[in-house]
Order: sequence, then structure tokens, then C-alpha cells
Amino acid sequence: MRDVALDSVPGLPSLYRSALLSSIPLPWGDGSAQRTSDASAAALPDVRHRVSGVQAMVGDLTRFQQLIGAPAQDVLPSGYLHTIAFPVAMSVMARKDFPLPLLGMIHLRNAVEHRRVIGFGEQLDIAAWAEDLRPHHAGTQVDLVTEVSSSGAVVWTGRSTYLAKGTRLAGPAPEAKEERQPFTAPPLTAVWNLPGSIGRSYAAVSGDYNPIHLTALTAKALGMQRAIAHGMYLASRMVQETKPAGVDSFSWSIDFRSPVLLPARVAIAVAQQSDARGWQGAAITGWNQRRGREHFVGRLARLADLHA
Amino acid sequence: MVDQAAGQRSAQSSPSVRNAVVIGGNRIPFARSGGPYAYSSNKDMLTAALDGLVARFGLQGERIGEVAAGAVLKHSRDFNLTREAVLGSALAADTPAYDVQQACATGLETVIGLANKIKLGQIESGIAGGVDSASDAPIAVSEGLRRVLLDLSRAKTTPQKLSILRRLRPRDLAPNAPTTGEPRTGLSMGEHQAITTARWEISREAQDELALNSHHNLAAAYERGFFSDLVTPYRGVTRDANVRADTSMEKLGKLKPVFGKDLDAPPTMTAGNSTPLTDGAATVLLGSEDYARRNNLPMLANVVDAEAAAVDFVHGAEGLLMAPVYAMPRMLQRNGLTFDDFDFFEIHEAFAGTVLSSLAAWENEDFCRNTLGLDGALGKVDRSKLNVNGSSLAAGHPFAATGGRIVASLAKALAEKGSGRGLISVCAAGGMGVVAILEAREK
Repeated sequence: MRDVALDSVPGLPSLYRSALLSSIPLPWGDGSAQRTSDASAAALPDVRHRVSGVQAMVGDLTRFQQLIGAPAQDVLPSGYLHTIAFPVAMSVMARKDFPLPLLGMIHLRNAVEHRRVIGFGEQLDIAAWAEDLRPHHAGTQVDLVTEVSSSGAVVWTGRSTYLAKGTRLAGPAPEAKEERQPFTAPPLTAVWNLPGSIGRSYAAVSGDYNPIHLTALTAKALGMQRAIAHGMYLASRMVQETKPAGVDSFSWSIDFRSPVLLPARVAIAVAQQSDARGWQGAAITGWNQRRGREHFVGRLARLADLHA
Repeated sequence: MVDQAAGQRSAQSSPSVRNAVVIGGNRIPFARSGGPYAYSSNKDMLTAALDGLVARFGLQGERIGEVAAGAVLKHSRDFNLTREAVLGSALAADTPAYDVQQACATGLETVIGLANKIKLGQIESGIAGGVDSASDAPIAVSEGLRRVLLDLSRAKTTPQKLSILRRLRPRDLAPNAPTTGEPRTGLSMGEHQAITTARWEISREAQDELALNSHHNLAAAYERGFFSDLVTPYRGVTRDANVRADTSMEKLGKLKPVFGKDLDAPPTMTAGNSTPLTDGAATVLLGSEDYARRNNLPMLANVVDAEAAAVDFVHGAEGLLMAPVYAMPRMLQRNGLTFDDFDFFEIHEAFAGTVLSSLAAWENEDFCRNTLGLDGALGKVDRSKLNVNGSSLAAGHPFAATGGRIVASLAKALAEKGSGRGLISVCAAGGMGVVAILEAREK
């Protein structure tokens, strides 16, 4: 894999802008827009984008922490590392040789390994690449892997799974649609009342101004009924509210089952798992009580402390 | 769960502390929110309750050791609420004061804190209390406007100020009003209790019956003049405005459920078996035996012991209002007492379901063994000794005032009986709870 060093973390707004432009087929265009309908000869770019010496801005960090209900501590919330690092992965997706359309991709899953406490002043090195392009019954899936290192050791790894709906790959037949058990609501432990503005608020602290999160109008333009909550807002809040303080090495994942249309009242159930050694993990479900429909399921687990 | 190392001791037998006694209490009648006290502030009502206490016990111009009180819904300008109320009262201006805030346990906690100071000889007298107004609640500006105003106050140049002002959006002008929702779960207290009520399978009838008893007991206590030396009229109100002497199971049974409508179990909690939002204030005069004797004041009861607990309701491990269930065995064990040693039980009726869930938990062998770590069920509370002079369902519940109402009423009941002990249990937001023991003075 070839390494491509970037000078700095690219801005998401400009990535969205160029994605938007390249999705419009223009007669004098370079043909890149055509890739949306033809991924048949697809291969992922064999590159790893790298940015070194990235540092959190304390003001941005504080606003992020306050929005997800975290105390404004001098350590980085797991979701904030995604915020810092993910634009590098986005820059991979925005490459002309990336075989799937950036806009309109559906966020299916995140899985993160958070190896140790990461201080807000640490100089972080970020690497991101795409892997595992594979068929899905509704299109094509791909994983974007983001690795954050500090002083030469990997401290945080995130894997985001995206679906390009309707884009078909040549090659193996897509897996059959998985039969999902009918949803039965677990015992309620909390409710998240998300105002219509939460997408704009999270965009302001994360820099992720994807139009599907901002207003009903911009979301409709991209085929959504209304604006939807950022997956990483839900994930960051889930981790913040579920992981006990003092557990510094942990993994978490979140599977998005249906979008949270804003404004929303998301029912939450947390089931903590503990044994004689203390907290071992938790299972979290977020759902819509009225419709009896799951929004997401999440898991947290303690990792063996590598630095003990 | 029970702290075995603490062992058993009797507060009275300890040689290094002296008794703290309840001398008496005074409160204003509690009124429904938006009613006769709609325009009275917390400071107004606390001052009124203090002045009534001063008049009742001849404390005009006296320097009290310390006054402790608090409010749950508090304006930011009320940072020194209790001291301000003291300055506005007939107490001596050199009476110190401090504010306490422990949600609905605020009032009981002020009694415990001052009683401890008296027991240690740090003060001779103290006034505990609390006040809350759900009518005159603080309303804050939005986060957006607040940030803009704060940044504006720090800006130096006009261009800086203009660029800050440009951040203002129309939605920033909408104010924020307080809610009864738990910050960490987004559920209101009633919704939390509905989960617990369903878990302990408390029936609608049992809850309505508890509410009925509360109204009948409170009305009967007024009829026999029990409150004549505990309550001072205010703003034309002479008795708790919420009490319904003529309510019945039929009337209570007609009310529609208001909480727990999204749960699988049928909803059982109504406006009749839940406390309404209420305005009011209550105070309690405490002192050493010396102080009472020197000033020729009555001694109604001793403040024996107290215990606070909290539970992890955030992750659903326990119900929001169940902490007193955990505090109770720890306190009883330390004092070598069981439920059989008590003549009065004052269990705060945040909701009928709260009281009944607590009773069910203490009676449940499995729960007491596996969750509380006891040898067996903690015991059964004799229902004929429960809230005999009414409680919050009938009187109403101005959050921080409830502790003072309970302590003064229980001390008086113990003094009337002339012997025995009383147990207090108060649940509080944040998954907290406080329990306490009072005992009658030996004659």
C-alpha cells in the first residue's frame, strides 16, 4: 500500500463540496461522475492517507464534550477521535479513483478500539485507508479504517462501514438479506429527547456538515424524509453514558438499523455486564417507542489493559 | 451491602455527643402551583415560615446558632437564599445561615446537619428548613444567548462585539424553563417511578388506597387541631390547599393514568396517586437540651440518627426513587433496631407507587438477601402506623419543604404519644434517599 502524506487534516465542507460537484455529470467533466453507476471494474485505491502532528483544539473539544454530556476533562472522548481523524478517511473516499459515490452513502456500522487514555495535548498521527469492498444485498459495502497513533503506538482504531445503495459489483453474488428477528423492546432506562437542531449543533462541533443532518430541506434533497441525527453523535453519547469512569481501554461498536429522524424521542435501554472483576461491558439499544422500531444497537467491552 | 465494620451502637450511649432535640416547627400551608402563592418567591415564603417560627417560640431579635435551608428550584440571584431570608425575618441580623441542596431530601438533610452540630456542641440552637415554588420557577435564557452575552461582556472592541452579536439567532431568544426530568436519563420522575411501580407489580387500587388514606389522615389531623401549632396561615390560606377530605376510591378510580403509558404493563399512576407541583415552606427549631431548658422551650423528640444512600438508576440497575430502601437497613443495623421498634413511619409520598415499592422491597426475601445483602426480608411496616397524619399526596410536596414538614409533624406525634420511635424515609432526584430516626423524650 502506498502512503500519501497530507499537509493537514482536510476540511469536511470542501470534501462535501467537491463530492457534490463531481456527482453532477457535466459534458465537459472528467467523467468521474460516471463512477456512481458503474463500479463493475472496481478496486479500492491502494493508498493510505497520512497526516502527522494533529492536535485537538481545546475550545472545539469543550463544545463537543458539552454537547454529548461529557464532563469537560483534559482527555479526548472516543467519539472525538473519530471527529478529528475521520476527515482523513473521507479524503480517501473523495479520491477520483475511489469506486463508490461519496454522497448518499449510508453509514451502517462503527467499531472502535480505544487502547488508552489520550490527553488533549498529544500530537496524534493519523492514517486512513479503505478496505474490504464487498457486495451487500442492497448495493456495495466498504470499510474505512482510521488509525490514530501517538509516539509511534496505535492508541485508537476505528472502522466505519458504509453502504453505497444500488451500486453493484461484478464478481461474487451479494449475500442474502439477513432475516432479522421481530423487535421486542428491552426495559427502558432513559430517553434522549433530540431537538430538530441537534444535527446543526453536532455539525458545529464535529465539522460534519453533511446536508442530510442539517435541515429537513437539505435532507429531502438527498432523499431523506427529514434531517437525521449524526450516527457519531448517537455513538459518542452512547459511549459517554455507558462506559464507567476509570475504564481506559475498551472497544465499542454501533450498528445503525434505521435513521433517527429529527426531532426525535429515542428510547434507550442499557444492560450493564459486570462480574467479580468489575465492569466488563454493556449492551445498548436505541429505538422508537411509537413505531416499535430499532434505531441502533451498540456494545461496549473492556479491553485487557495492555499498559498495566 | 450492610457495613458490618460499623457494628452497632446507640447514639444515646455514645459519651462524646449530647442530644439534639426537636423543639417545634412552623410552616405555611402548602398550595398548588399557580395558586395563592403564585407571585411569592422562595425568599418570601421562607421568610414567612421563619417569622411564624419566631413568633411561636419568642425568638425575636435572638441570635440562633445557625439557620440551614434550601430550595430545589432556585434562581441564580438566590445564591444566599437562607441568609437573605434570615435578614428579612425577625431573627437577629447576626444569625449565620447556609444553603443546602439535596433535591427532595434538602429539608431532611438540613435537620441532620444542624442536629449533628448541636450534638457536637458547635451550636446551641439551629433552624432547619426548606422552601420551593413551582409557580415562581426560574427561567433561564437559552444557551446560545447566554454564550453571546458572556462573550460580549469580555469583548473589547466594537468589531469584536458586532461579530459576536452576529452569532445570535431567533431561536436563541426562546427561554429555558426547568423541568422535573432527570438530566442523565431524560425521563421525568413520574416516568421513572412508573418503571419501578411496574417492576414491583403495584396495583392501581393499592396506590389509590394509599392516596385516599393520605387525604383522610391529613384532613382528620386538621380536624383534631394537630396542625394548630405547626402551621401559620399565609396569603389567606389556612390549611394545605391540596387536601381533599371528601375524596373516595370511586373518585380516585376515575382519573386517567398520566405516567407509564409507554410501558408494557398497564399504566396505574394518575394525578390522584402522584404528588402535584406545590408551593410552600417549612422550618424546624432544633436545640440542645440546655438551650431548651434555659429558654423554657418544649422538647418534642430527639434526633437519633440518619443515613443517606444513592443508587445507579442511570443504567437501570435500580429505580430512581429506591435509594431509601438501601439506606434503611444500614441505619437500622447500626442502631440495633428493626421495624418492630417503631411506632410511626413517615415515608414521603412522592408517588403512592414509591411508598408501596419500598414496602414491597423490604418485605421481599429474595431482594433483601440478594440485593441488600441481608439475612432475610428486612420486615413489614405496620400500615396502621404509616403516615398517620397524612403525607405528601394530600399535603402536596414543595420539594425542599417536605423534610421540615415531616420532622415537625413526627416530633409532635411522638411528643403526644409520650414514648416510642419514628422512622423517616425521603426519596430524592438523582437516585438519592435519606432516612432518619426520631425518638420520643423520656417523661
